[in-house]
Amino acid sequence: MCATSTVVLARSLTKRYGAIDAVRGVDFSIEAGECFGFLGVNGAGKTTTMKMIYCRIARTSGELLVLGMDTSRDALGIKARLGVVAQENALDPELTVIENLLLYASFFGITGERAYKRAAQLLELLSLGGKEKAQVKELSGGMKRRLVIARALVNDPDILVLDEPTTGLDPQARLLVWEKLTSLREAGLTLLLTTHYMEEAARLCNRVAIIDEGKILAQGTPEQLIAQFAAADVLEIIDPAARLPVDGQLDGLIVRRERYGEVHYLFNHDNRVLLHRMNELGFDPPRHVARRATLEDVFLNMTGRELVE
Amino acid sequence: MNPVAAFFRPNTWRVFQRNFYAWQKYAWSSVAINIVEPFAYFLALGFGLGAYFKVTGYGSLVQFMAPGFLGLTALNTATFDAAWGCFERRVFNGVYESMVTAPVDPLEIAAGEYLWQAFRAALYGSLFLAVIAGFGLVHSYWALLCPLVLALTGIVCAIPALFVSFVVNTQEHLFYYFSFVATPTVMISGIFFPLDKFPHWALAIAWMTPLYHAVIVFRALAMGTVSPQTGLEVLWLVAAIVVLAFLPVRSVRSRLGN
Repeated sequence: MCATSTVVLARSLTKRYGAIDAVRGVDFSIEAGECFGFLGVNGAGKTTTMKMIYCRIARTSGELLVLGMDTSRDALGIKARLGVVAQENALDPELTVIENLLLYASFFGITGERAYKRAAQLLELLSLGGKEKAQVKELSGGMKRRLVIARALVNDPDILVLDEPTTGLDPQARLLVWEKLTSLREAGLTLLLTTHYMEEAARLCNRVAIIDEGKILAQGTPEQLIAQFAAADVLEIIDPAARLPVDGQLDGLIVRRERYGEVHYLFNHDNRVLLHRMNELGFDPPRHVARRATLEDVFLNMTGRELVE
Repeated sequence: MNPVAAFFRPNTWRVFQRNFYAWQKYAWSSVAINIVEPFAYFLALGFGLGAYFKVTGYGSLVQFMAPGFLGLTALNTATFDAAWGCFERRVFNGVYESMVTAPVDPLEIAAGEYLWQAFRAALYGSLFLAVIAGFGLVHSYWALLCPLVLALTGIVCAIPALFVSFVVNTQEHLFYYFSFVATPTVMISGIFFPLDKFPHWALAIAWMTPLYHAVIVFRALAMGTVSPQTGLEVLWLVAAIVVLAFLPVRSVRSRLGN
């Protein structure tokens, strides 16, 4: 990426619904051409943040600029240049696939032959060719989601905003959506998405913000976050006999140690080195998993492993 | 943007177009539903009950009622779709939800719906006009202006109905509006019987309802008794539209705006 420009800028952004603080003072900026992801559990404030960005709800305080425009003053101007894939598909069940696209295009002033060409091209791009005349209710969940993405692209947007693009889809449908989003990102489109799938964030996003209880806990590239809040490797050990050597004996090989139930999570720079050292100490972990640390580890380290309901 | 200016925006017509696309697919059944019911009432009351009554100045009761039924058709068709239909489009089908992710102002959606109800009222009302003309109950070419007045009646009835559909959280609550507002309005609007024996206070209430004025106009157009007073009644309808248009602004904006 060469020269970057900020397309979304939030400062001390808050949203309050009555007595509930959904978003409590978040700061972030998104650059043109990147794929930025908000990662968090349900109710963390992801959707609220997204809705403020695509001008669906008003902020309570703070600053929010999208493409240089203030969301509270220039909603129509911003909407003209965004593509929005909201959490709910909101496809018109009384219209066919192509009519859904043509109607939506008309709201951007794209009509007639131009709209038809654009719609056909997008259906092809999202692997929906041949479905023009289908009723929305005949489509599978994955097809509906891809149709919503096609609809969001009719105006050739500067930013594509996706709120949980693959929630509720089966694995094959999810892979196809990921493939489409990856190719859009590679074509240079700025993507902004929310997800509670760590794998999705790791696969698609250049940069993620971990959001919990309305606050951004950390943001950076997945690699940065893993380095900062976990370590490259993690060794999961089940140790019912409590024979696991204490940290001091492992020469500081363990960067961070977490425990959930009877599973120990030993974050370290290289599992082979750690296992070797354990063997030297006469400890051969009976049941263990040696793997690379993921965003999921970062997330769980930051928000805790217990289920909070 | 104000709710009157919203009538003249390009996206308002596209909202209208959306409803037209959807309607095309079930147009025939929709026509049947919106015509058969008033026609049944018309036959029963006009010819059945009407056989026992004469109305001074009109001869038969059926002659008195026939033009008034244009008003009834306009009110029914616009009220039902602006309340029930708009609730579905807003809550169940996500139609407005997707529109407001595009550069569509919530007031353009409202105005598009009013224009759509104008179309429905004009269409179904005109079909009814053809029916009563077939019975020989239309006596003037002034009646050719009925579609315009039907459209105005459709808009003026659609505004409060849409307002209610944006206020309630449950579709069933729309029946309060149908039962407590729409139906009594029909009863006191001078469709079924002349209002000259009404007490003053009741007449004053009738005067406040748009349908009362619309019915006077339909009767004048069908009978050929058009006068400057008829023009004033039309002006009353236009003024009511302009004033009423501000009523739903807040709830429409709070449901669909940011």
